[in-house]
Amino acid sequence: MVLQRAMAFLEEEFRSLLEDCRNNPQSNYDIFLKNSSFNYKNQDQSDQGETESGDFPAYSLEVVTKMNKIACAMISAGYETECCQVYSVSRRIAFNEQMKRLEFEKINMDDVLKMQWETLEGEISRWIKVVKTCSGSLFPGEKNLGESIFSDHPLICRSLFSNLARAVVIQLLDFAEAVSMAKRSAEKLFKFLDVYETLQDLIPAINDSCSHECEHQLTWEIAAACDRIGESAVSIFCDLENSIKSDVAKSPVPGGAVHPLTRYVMNYLKYACEYINTLEKIFEKHAKLERSLPMTSNLSSNDIEKESESPHNFETVESKTPFSIQVVTVMDLLDTNLEAKSKLYRDPSLRYIFLMNNGRYILQKVKGSTEVRQVMGDTWCRRRSTVVRQFHKNYQRETWTRILPCLSHDGLQVNGKVNKSVLKDRFKIFSTTFDEIHRTQSTWVVSDEQLQSELRVSITSVVIPAYRSFVGRFKQYLDSGKVDKYVKYQPEDIETLIEGLFDGNPTSMGRRRSS
Amino acid sequence: MPATTDNQSSFLNRISIRRNQVVAMENHDLELEDLELFQKHVADRFSHILSTTAGNITDPSSATTESPSAAQESCTPPLLSISWFRNLLDTYLCCEAEFKAVLVMGRDPTQFTKTPLDKLIPDLLDRSVKALDICNAVTHGVELVRHWQKLAQIAVTALQQTTIGEGQVRRAKKALNTLLTSMVVDEKENANSNNHGKSTERSWSFGRRGGSGNNNKDRATGNFRSLSWSVAKQWSAAKQIQAMSANLAAPRGGESTGLAMPVYIMSTVLVFVMWSLVAAIPCQERTGLATHFVVPRQLGWAQPMIGLQEKIVEEWKKKEKKGTAGLLEELQKMEKVAQSLVDFADSFQFPLEEEKAAEVAMQVEELADICRKMEEGLVPLQQQVREVFHRIVRSRAEVLDLLDQVGKLSTPVPY
Repeated sequence: MVLQRAMAFLEEEFRSLLEDCRNNPQSNYDIFLKNSSFNYKNQDQSDQGETESGDFPAYSLEVVTKMNKIACAMISAGYETECCQVYSVSRRIAFNEQMKRLEFEKINMDDVLKMQWETLEGEISRWIKVVKTCSGSLFPGEKNLGESIFSDHPLICRSLFSNLARAVVIQLLDFAEAVSMAKRSAEKLFKFLDVYETLQDLIPAINDSCSHECEHQLTWEIAAACDRIGESAVSIFCDLENSIKSDVAKSPVPGGAVHPLTRYVMNYLKYACEYINTLEKIFEKHAKLERSLPMTSNLSSNDIEKESESPHNFETVESKTPFSIQVVTVMDLLDTNLEAKSKLYRDPSLRYIFLMNNGRYILQKVKGSTEVRQVMGDTWCRRRSTVVRQFHKNYQRETWTRILPCLSHDGLQVNGKVNKSVLKDRFKIFSTTFDEIHRTQSTWVVSDEQLQSELRVSITSVVIPAYRSFVGRFKQYLDSGKVDKYVKYQPEDIETLIEGLFDGNPTSMGRRRSS
Repeated sequence: MPATTDNQSSFLNRISIRRNQVVAMENHDLELEDLELFQKHVADRFSHILSTTAGNITDPSSATTESPSAAQESCTPPLLSISWFRNLLDTYLCCEAEFKAVLVMGRDPTQFTKTPLDKLIPDLLDRSVKALDICNAVTHGVELVRHWQKLAQIAVTALQQTTIGEGQVRRAKKALNTLLTSMVVDEKENANSNNHGKSTERSWSFGRRGGSGNNNKDRATGNFRSLSWSVAKQWSAAKQIQAMSANLAAPRGGESTGLAMPVYIMSTVLVFVMWSLVAAIPCQERTGLATHFVVPRQLGWAQPMIGLQEKIVEEWKKKEKKGTAGLLEELQKMEKVAQSLVDFADSFQFPLEEEKAAEVAMQVEELADICRKMEEGLVPLQQQVREVFHRIVRSRAEVLDLLDQVGKLSTPVPY
């Protein structure tokens, strides 16, 4: 009887100690905040007392010691169940309050699936914050508290933590599962990957603190949720293929500029590759899954198929992980798509400008991202560089080489005397051709600055010396009054006009000659 | 648990249709046989459950005079007991596996884009998602039951002494009072789903009042209430079931020969399982549950299920007025015994006469037995519910994949 009374009293004491600290949630949080920043700045003064060093829950050392004594007493008196009940319930409520403070609300799976993406995105961000808080401070804090109070009973401590963790984690996982069931679309990829990574971080937070069984169960559950998210992510990423394939243009991009599809795909790849470690993991898992299905075509046989269709990318790429293979597949499709689009240009020169622009954009994007570059490899970069240079050469040949014959010194002299009419013709042809080229090409754009200047330099280096020498050599043979009629441009003028190319702004043709 | 799931999933994956590989069924008769077999198997399985269900629950004479051996009980579990549910969930998983095989194996994929499947399949998927919410509610309901079990355990420990003193009686009484109040309060507050938010606060504020032992009861119940934070506010289990059984109509005439029938059968099985779970385990807001799901009487294969349903509805109606925590057989027994022991505690005088002591000992033994069953069965039950949850999620994904491919097949990609 005495024992019962004593135990009842202790139970109440225990409960009120647990709750009192919790009853003033604002101060709890303040202590938490204050102590976290305190702790951060004063790493040396770690003897401040473990429980006050910024952990949730912020019970003072004194209170914890008291609770520890109560717990020991109750357990040795055979009142273990009562003690654990009080603790469980109290901690559960405290945890709930933390969740509320983080604005976490339970949403039905039904409702999650009905949400618009903008709303869902917000909920996901909130959820990520909650899970991170759990992994980072709530669970470790809970574990510490349990260990302090039930210091002599590690099994009880683990079991209590397990119950709490299980209830909370399954709640959190349900949301992740619901998210993975949402309709898949390209823009969701990054949020999905965030969810995946947040879940992975949860595992270490519970690993050491749970009972063996619980750990096993929760790890399995987290893995299951990750798998689901992973599968969705794979599906979304691979859908990039379809986006590319279905982007069929009827009319070409004006000025041979970088196509919006190129920008979209390359930027998508760049952002995706920021998650490269996670994506590699996810794709590995997916590949394993596919391999275990006897009826389906293996990833490896897919590779062979793809390699034969478009050899050049696969040959040069170094990395052969499932994810890399997917990235290269996307690149291949983009290349093929761009090639098809380039055929829409009737003017071969413009076609090459288009290919050059897009090729260069792709190359720069790859070089600009460490991760993508890692996937594609240096050999690929070199190869692509060569390809772009080839387009450059082709363009040059298409456009400017036809102008050179008129500047040839051959065929102008007959019996040592300069044929004036042929000379006049030559000058005329040159001007006309040049005008035509300039008129056609002045609206063309090369967005990459370096490429732009390279083009101008190479054109200038081909045309100007030839023209200058031609003018210098043969101008004197024209009738003095009629020089202007035939020599429409001075070499400097040509140079200026060429310098104005590829800006996309048609320069005025009014300029005639400088001095 | 993971082992079974893996085996089942790899079996199903072996037969699932992927990418461009569609296996065309040549023999129409074989198809029909498949469908009929499915129907027969479902009927058989439920018939088995019905026939192995032991008498009625809460028959006090059978409870105290006969103590069936554990082995006996597991073969003929009482209606709505933990073992009974474990059988039911197993049955569900088997039916589901077979259903998926029927749905996916060698079907002409264009069937899915035409009536009636073009509406039935989305309905089924929608129903599945609703079932997920119920699985969650049930999982947390089981948590609550485990708490109750622990309280009962206290009473058992206290009263399983050779001589019972006042101290032990007080201890047991305290625990049992908490238990009983919690069971009742839970249901009453459930009935007031609109005030759900408010009642949480109300119970919470009880806890703030200082002092007497009486307060423990209130604080404890307030505390228990907040444990079921785990479902969304305003969510109603009964309404969820109602929503799930909406649009559930047996296919008529020509439709009943195709896939529409298995879809209907599977949907009915799903709703039945969820409905039974909600009836038995404490879930948020269950008023009117009895009328929310009815299986049409004339269906041959459904007779065993109808039989089970009738029994469950009967039990539900009995308890509806009193307000009950849930029809779970062990809970019902627990409530009864707990009440009886509290009565005993109230009138306790030390020392106890032999006759009375023997009576009490028997009741305590019964309570101990219930606790034991719960201890052994609740965690596996929870895991099974989780397994059902995961199966539904996975199946949904597979069906969606299937529909996706069908969509792709019919709209060639322009390139």
